[in-house]
Order: sequence, then structure tokens, then C-alpha cells
Amino acid sequence: MADFLLTQVINYGAPLFGLILFLGAVGFPVGASVILIAAGAFSQQGILEWFPTATLGLAGAIIGDVLSFGMGFYAKDWVDKRFGNSKAWKSAEESFAARAGLAIYLTRFLITALAIPINLIAGGSGIQFRRFLTYDSLGEFTWIILYGGLGYFFGSQWELVSAFLSNFGGLMVGVVILVSGITLAVRKLKSESNQALMQKN
Amino acid sequence: MSPVKQRLLLVGMIVIGFAFVVFFGIRFFHAFRAFNGHRPPHFPPLGSQSVETDVSLIRDWMTIGYISHAYRLPPKLLYEALNIPPNGNERKSLKQLNDEYYPMEPGIVLAKVKATMLAIQPPVVPTVMSPNTAMPPVTAIPPIKP
Repeated sequence: MADFLLTQVINYGAPLFGLILFLGAVGFPVGASVILIAAGAFSQQGILEWFPTATLGLAGAIIGDVLSFGMGFYAKDWVDKRFGNSKAWKSAEESFAARAGLAIYLTRFLITALAIPINLIAGGSGIQFRRFLTYDSLGEFTWIILYGGLGYFFGSQWELVSAFLSNFGGLMVGVVILVSGITLAVRKLKSESNQALMQKN
Repeated sequence: MSPVKQRLLLVGMIVIGFAFVVFFGIRFFHAFRAFNGHRPPHFPPLGSQSVETDVSLIRDWMTIGYISHAYRLPPKLLYEALNIPPNGNERKSLKQLNDEYYPMEPGIVLAKVKATMLAIQPPVVPTVMSPNTAMPPVTAIPPIKP
């Protein structure tokens, strides 16, 4: 899939690149980060012009994120009906709302595998659209500059950067899941031991 | 959610998280070693474009047009080497050309392109080493008198 898309980016340039980043932001497995690094290298080689490529890519990614935010927003009623009475769900919603900005920003470029779930949760949790758009735009801008810039800097050796970054992203996802699991487990153990102490007293 | 289900969920999170960390950690380590062993190529001045010379970087998703642009050579040479007409093939990748023109010989187009590029490129001239100045000059040793 990525190979086919790389050939088409060479052939059709920045508009197709913008479309690919849009599809990636909506949730299609197009390998958007790989294409972005390659686009940076193609810009350095003179195949693509960097400014329209970066602009269309940024626009595609933001529009895709807004669409997946919208999906979360319109699924809110169903989620409320299903989980609205759950204490755990309410607590998770509140916890997300407190850190939503950072979560949205970091999942654009550091933990990209979690970007779509975060868009859906953000849409469903009722955070302000303007707030989502601000952090989303900042995050996508960082992603374009960082990944595209590395591709531009490394030129024809961009595949090395791509392998390095994709494995780093997977590692970060693992770290987030592991740390969250351990934190929640420690909290649960503490609350259980507190309850046991209260029952003794 | 019942306490048993909660515990199972937490154990599942920790196990999956740990598996991810180990799997991607090993791959990251290997990728980092490969990445760290390569310095970025000489960065061209702004406004100019770099010329590629490393034939090992050619992949089968590339088009003839892209390769001739990156390596600065006329596409006609590559089409002639492959015995393929340029018309209608400008947007096809090397793999597509291989599937269309040499379906019985997988990878032959990529191999032919690499061989042609190597044959065209000027040979690498070894740089002249500077004389080893660590050796003391012969005249510095006083002649031994009998």
C-alpha cells in the first residue's frame, strides 16, 4: 500500500499528498507518517515544492481530524445512553477533559497510533470545538515540520528515519499502556487496602 | 464492572503494554543503530538540489522519471536499457513495468536499472593520501662516523 502511494505521490504531487493525510486522519491505514517523511525527501530532491506540499498536507490532516471529532460528537448520544450512568465513565470523561489539550497535541506527532481514538473521545466528551481545533492544528503543524523536516534533511536516506520513527511511535504506545495499567493497578490496590482497613475498624 | 473484570482488564493492559514495549523496544534499538551509523548526507545550499549517486537506494516503487531526476541522467538511457518505450510508461513504477514487460522474471527491471546506473556513473577515483609526516626526515639523523 505504502509503495503504491509513494509512486502516486511522485506522479500527482501535493494534492494527492493532502488527500492521503486526510484519509490517514480519518482512520484509513495509509501510513501517513511514512508518506510525510518521503514527501520531505521529495521536496529536497525537487520533485515536490515544499510550501504547497506542507500547506495541503496540513489542511488535509486538520480536516480529517475535524471529521473524526465530528463522528465522536454525533456518537455522544449513543455513548451517553450506553455508559451515561457509569461512575467510571464519568470519571474518565472528567479526567480526559482536564488533560485534553496535552493529549490532543501529543497524539498528533508523538503517539500517532492514538490520534483517532483521542479525536473520537474528544468529540464525544463535549470539549469545545475551538479548543480541539487549536491543539489539533498546533500538533499537526509540529508533525509536518518535524517528520517532513527530517525527510528533507536526510533526503534519499529517508527510509532510515522512517524505520526509526515508526518503531519509536510503537514504543511510546507501549509505554503509555504499561504506565496507565500500572498506575490504575496501584490505585486499585490502595483503595482496596483502605476499604479493608475501614472494615476492620 | 465487577472487581474480577476490572482486575482482568488491568492485567491485560499491563501484559499488552509490556509486550509492546519489548517488541518495539528491540526494533527501535536496531533501527537506532542503523540510523546512528548513517550521518545525514551533505546538505545542499538552499535553492539547489542534491544529486544522488548511491544505486543501492533505488526501489521498485520508483518511476523512471523520478530516478532520472534524482540521479540526473536522461530517462531515454534507462528506457533503452530496459527495451521499453517511454510513451505511456512515464507514471509506472519499476514493479509495474516488470509485471507488464517481464512477468516471468521478477526483479529484473530493478536489477537492470541498477546495472545501467553503475555502468554510466564515472568510476570512483581514490583520493591521494598525504605523506606520513610522523616519520622523521632522513637528513635529521647524523651520519655515523667510524
